[in-house]
Amino acid sequence: MIVLATNLTYFLANLFLDPRANYLQARPPRSPDQIDRALAQYDLSPRTSLVVRWWRWISDIALHWNWGYSPFGESVNEEIAFRIGVSAQLVLLSMILSTTIGIALAVYTAARQYRFADRFTQTLSLIALNIPVPVASLAVVFVAIALNRSSGSTLFFVAGSSSPTVTGFWPLVVDRLQHLALPTVVLTIVSYAGYHLLQRSVLLDEVNADHVRMARAKGLTRSEAIRRHGLRTSLIPVATSIAFTVPALFTGAVLTETIFGWEGMGRYFVTTISKNDVHGVVAVAAFGALMTAIGALLADLAVVALDPRVRVNGS
Amino acid sequence: MPGLKPMVDDGGPAPREIGGRCTRRPRVSRSRLYLHRFLRNRGAVVGLVALALLILFALFGSLLTTYTYLDVDFANVSSSPSPEHPFGTNGAGNDTYAQAVHGLQRSLVIALVVSAATTTIAAFVGAAAGYVGGVTEKIILKVVHFLLVVPSFLILALVSQQAHGGWPVLVIVLTLFGWMFNARVVWSLTTSLREREFVRAARYMGVGPIRIVVRHLIPNLGSLLVVSFTLGVVATVQAETALSFVGFGVQPPDVSLGTMLSDGATTVSSAPWLFFVPACLVTLLTVSVALIGDGLRDALDPSSRSAGRA
Repeated sequence: MIVLATNLTYFLANLFLDPRANYLQARPPRSPDQIDRALAQYDLSPRTSLVVRWWRWISDIALHWNWGYSPFGESVNEEIAFRIGVSAQLVLLSMILSTTIGIALAVYTAARQYRFADRFTQTLSLIALNIPVPVASLAVVFVAIALNRSSGSTLFFVAGSSSPTVTGFWPLVVDRLQHLALPTVVLTIVSYAGYHLLQRSVLLDEVNADHVRMARAKGLTRSEAIRRHGLRTSLIPVATSIAFTVPALFTGAVLTETIFGWEGMGRYFVTTISKNDVHGVVAVAAFGALMTAIGALLADLAVVALDPRVRVNGS
Repeated sequence: MPGLKPMVDDGGPAPREIGGRCTRRPRVSRSRLYLHRFLRNRGAVVGLVALALLILFALFGSLLTTYTYLDVDFANVSSSPSPEHPFGTNGAGNDTYAQAVHGLQRSLVIALVVSAATTTIAAFVGAAAGYVGGVTEKIILKVVHFLLVVPSFLILALVSQQAHGGWPVLVIVLTLFGWMFNARVVWSLTTSLREREFVRAARYMGVGPIRIVVRHLIPNLGSLLVVSFTLGVVATVQAETALSFVGFGVQPPDVSLGTMLSDGATTVSSAPWLFFVPACLVTLLTVSVALIGDGLRDALDPSSRSAGRA
């Protein structure tokens, strides 16, 4: 599936992006022949037939793990190797935070169904779920700037993933956190709510199940029964839904990275498209598909771990 | 409310009245029942009112100003809100109020058209796949799963960048990559519906497959489709905003809420009104539609108790 999706993107990218456009503005102006020659060394020239280019591209990946070059000759491999780490820390951290917060909130509110805390957090989550990412990010930026001003020092950095001048281990950690805080908060805000609402509704179905009622009959309090007996079974659908939110998280990362000036995969995605970098676009697509696949795999593993009826070896 | 048309959810041709034998309660028609359940949901009513106000604003807001979204007022560039320009002007001297009216219109039209189209496609493809079965079903499911794996946001950006500002192209692209998930849901529900007696009866009476899909299967998925339409509106507004924000959606000189947001993003601290106006509008839009969708789901779902007893 990943291979197929990547190839489809390759052809689509070739169809819609024209690397020659990059050289049209160059000074001194170049002739079409010169442009094609410049592009031919990176296998991007439209003079060569698409099938030939595709074959060279895919065999280079299969044999040398070389994902090709941008129209200006930068290696896609190098670009991605640097950016994956930047994106990963952002996406992973917010993923962990949002699942933890979402599930914890759901357990808390399910035990207090229809009370004030439940109603209040539910409304809050509904709003958070539907706020567009740019709005959330810019609102957070706004708050952060206000905080910086009122405290008189730079508590949070609004742009970039790290400051270049900081040295030493602890200053480096603090600096990283100052940069990481805002984008992580944004991604967490827009993604925790889905887990909260889903987990809550599944938990409330579970509360009426026989085994939870049994636990109540034994004398456990409602919240204790939910925590000890209801939670495990109801985590299963939530775990599967996490897999499907990975692409959404990736899209969210595109926007947050753009706004916060992080040079990660999301930012790379925007630049590759606007610079007609066919190979770069395809690499990003492959990365996205891979992330989805990893998410699905993790969800399966979580189901196996949670559901005692599922046996991997079938015994 | 067009969304509240009676939809049968338990099979058989739609009886407009519930039960000939009267119980202790007075007879209530189905649409009345749904309306009651919907109106009892406070959030849904708030959402409905907010959406109605937004639509009124988009339709008639332009009557309250003498400027259009393309007019440039060179005397007032980047000025803060004033009686002349109620929402201020942007860096080029455009009236933000007129732009907001136009942008909201644009975003609403895109969202409604795309969501209606994706829901229709999803209903037909999903129901057809589920009903016909066999090789057709397998092929359709393969295509659906494949399209779900493809990072659709990337393809959207790729294709719509070539649209060169034409929002109809954006509508087509968003539709093409937006129907898969719903189609899968419709398919899984159809597989259980196709074994039901009323479908079998229709088949034995010689009704053709197309007619069965249109007349018997799709009406029975009505409540699901209504809800997925509202959720689709939210998703489309979000997608359009995101695409326009990074510069791949609606292109200048056309204006949508997304492009207004990206204009305002650079001036959050120097000209906050440029950001707050589109941000408030788009958030109000998505949240109100989501509230309505929530209320509709509770009202139309026969097993739901959150809207109180009928």
